[in-house]
Amino acid sequence: MDVDVTDRAAEDLARENERLRAAIAELEDELARQAARTNTIRAEAQERVYWLDRWNLDLNELMRRPGAEQLRWLVRALRQPLRALRKLKRRLLG
Amino acid sequence: MRTISVVIPVKDGARWLAATLAAVRREAPHEILLIDSGSTDNSVAIARAAGVRVLEIEPAEFGHGRTRNLAVASTSGELIAFLTQDAEPVPGWLAAYREAFELDERVGAAFGPHLPRPDTSPMIARELREFFAGFSPEGGPTIQRSADEAAWHPGFLSNANAAYRRSVLEAIPFRDVAYAEDQAFARDLFAARGWKAYHPGAGVLHAHDYPWAQFMRRYFDEYRGLRETTGHVEAIAPRSTVRAVRDAVARDRAFLAAEGAGAAQRLRWTGRSVAHHGGRRVFAALGSRADRLPAAAQRGLSLEGRGDGEASGATPSAPRLTAIPARRRRELFAEILDAEVHGAAPLLPAAPGASARTPLHVAIVIPPFRRGSGGHDTIFRIFREIERMGHTVSVWLDDPEGRHPERPAVLRREIRDWFARLDAPVFTGFEQWYGADVALATGWQTVFPVLGLDACRARAYFVQDHEPEFYPAAAERRWAAETYGQGLHHICASPWLADLVRTRYGGTASVFQLGADGDVYRQLDVVRRRDTVVFYGRAVTARRAVPLGLLALAELKRRRPAARVVIYGDPIPNDTSFPYEHAGVASQDELAHLYCEATVGLCLSMTNYSRVPQEMMACGLPCVDLAGYSAESVFGEDGPVELSDFSPTALADHIERLMDDEALWQRRSQAGQAFVAAHTWGAAAREVEAGLREALRLREGIAQPNAPLR
Repeated sequence: MDVDVTDRAAEDLARENERLRAAIAELEDELARQAARTNTIRAEAQERVYWLDRWNLDLNELMRRPGAEQLRWLVRALRQPLRALRKLKRRLLG
Repeated sequence: MRTISVVIPVKDGARWLAATLAAVRREAPHEILLIDSGSTDNSVAIARAAGVRVLEIEPAEFGHGRTRNLAVASTSGELIAFLTQDAEPVPGWLAAYREAFELDERVGAAFGPHLPRPDTSPMIARELREFFAGFSPEGGPTIQRSADEAAWHPGFLSNANAAYRRSVLEAIPFRDVAYAEDQAFARDLFAARGWKAYHPGAGVLHAHDYPWAQFMRRYFDEYRGLRETTGHVEAIAPRSTVRAVRDAVARDRAFLAAEGAGAAQRLRWTGRSVAHHGGRRVFAALGSRADRLPAAAQRGLSLEGRGDGEASGATPSAPRLTAIPARRRRELFAEILDAEVHGAAPLLPAAPGASARTPLHVAIVIPPFRRGSGGHDTIFRIFREIERMGHTVSVWLDDPEGRHPERPAVLRREIRDWFARLDAPVFTGFEQWYGADVALATGWQTVFPVLGLDACRARAYFVQDHEPEFYPAAAERRWAAETYGQGLHHICASPWLADLVRTRYGGTASVFQLGADGDVYRQLDVVRRRDTVVFYGRAVTARRAVPLGLLALAELKRRRPAARVVIYGDPIPNDTSFPYEHAGVASQDELAHLYCEATVGLCLSMTNYSRVPQEMMACGLPCVDLAGYSAESVFGEDGPVELSDFSPTALADHIERLMDDEALWQRRSQAGQAFVAAHTWGAAAREVEAGLREALRLREGIAQPNAPLR
């Protein structure tokens, strides 16, 4: 009987170790995927902001300047009729 | 394009200032700063009206060096150009300075000619023209590397028209001397192994006619200043003075004749020329002996009205001390101190199986780079291949000197455009550090920051050369040697280097071998000549043994006067006793053409081998290198490279053998092409990947530190 109990305990321990190893491997894989994702996102962001960085432009800083909001509003206001005109032109000319 | 701040110290300069400022504005500098030390005319108003920033200081605060150091701290351009209030730049002035600093990164200061104004007397106009022509016999920019070199006035530098690299001025500020702070700076620059450049295009109109007495008092001050800063004492003796004055007057008359002056005009100027040159000899001699004159006499003879430094018997005064504010956020090499005080940051626990996993995240820590940097090119080419194998790479720039003002996105684009199209993001500094499987140092300076990085499983060291040998007896040499004993796993660019790391420093090492870019370096449709030796003669890189190579080529030319020699690698031609063709810093495509045309390549290395022999081999060009360093470990003793003893005659023998023995030439050429075919960047990357895994295996305890080299 003693032998059976010892064997079962050893098997349980081996299974538990196996399960923990698998969990660690899964976490390690997740960590690796996360590092790869972080790198990709960061690299893509750097690609997108290249010209801003090249010209040392900080858009947050720029938009804090007096008149920046009003300028943005004006651009949007001008853009809407232009878009409507372009849409109309496309519809008329096919 | 480099940003330039223009600085003009001013006192009562209203007469010239408006014209000077207008000329400077036309050059579109990054900023203009005028430092006024108590003008009583309307100088400040003129500057403000021109929209120029003005810094006002007390007259007593002014000092030629001190005030210019203040200007350095008050401006932000990468280059700082100094003018005097009466020096009016000519068009193209700043463009010429930018070009001068592009000549070489060791150029710390540059200067241009002072040109006569229409009212300048012929004596001064002639001397200016002759003096500045001496810096540029061929009319182009030139470099002065030492105060002792056999060149035209190598120590000359004048802040009436000069520009400086900010990083250099921050390291070597102007001395707080009464006079000639510019010449003192030139000496300090040379002592720090820096260079200065002359550019004939960086001219200013800066010469006026003064009454005779004013000229003479200026000479008195000038030579007194020279004595105080350089110890120069102007010799004077009746016979030599008469001879010198006679020669100078004759040259003035010849100059006037060349300028089209009539006989009457020449006669009129002859009298003034005699008085000018004769007076100058006397006042220069007096100025350089001013310390023997009573203070009242000095004041009388001096335009500045200064009468200090009295004759013998006076008590030596204490040196003038200058308070230097902190200019750096951290000391250079601060990480060395951190490593000593705090030790290395703890590594993550070893994860079983991590060494076999893909993807690994490798964080490569790089030193500052420049376009064309060979070491960086190797790093980025290999890690582009590592990315292709499925691994994740991030690039971390360690730049304690602030050489890169660019933001990370710009740096990333530069790396992709100049070297290899890595997918990796680029970071400056380590504030956003987020760990890695392997943190990789890539130069000795980067080892200490890497020791401070946590959240990584292993640290490794990408070793391309034995870097202590880059330095003479210096702290940097000692620190570079210490990097091999910091417990990082070394991934070395030759068996020789790996062996050195293991035997001399007791480190663990893996090996990779360099590749060659087969798209560029290949057999082109170019007729190969039978008389041409092409030599990599980059004299500024001491380990390239250029003096030895030049001796060997001189010997070759003695034996074979018809041999054609082409030297490349340095923007400035070497001075030699034999004629040769200079290719400068040629592009890769130009080099490939040159290698396909040449008969023998000569590329010497006194440390680890470089990519140059392989690039020559890829073009079918047999190459001669030095035996006894690293080449045997890579190419074998009788492989694609002809190995020579360290001797000019032996090198000339080997070059001649390759020129004469067609069978030997063919054998080396074919062996070289076979070698290059087997050594691609992909193969190099696989070896580096094995090295990265070895670093992790060592952490996991499943690799033996003293296992045979891989």
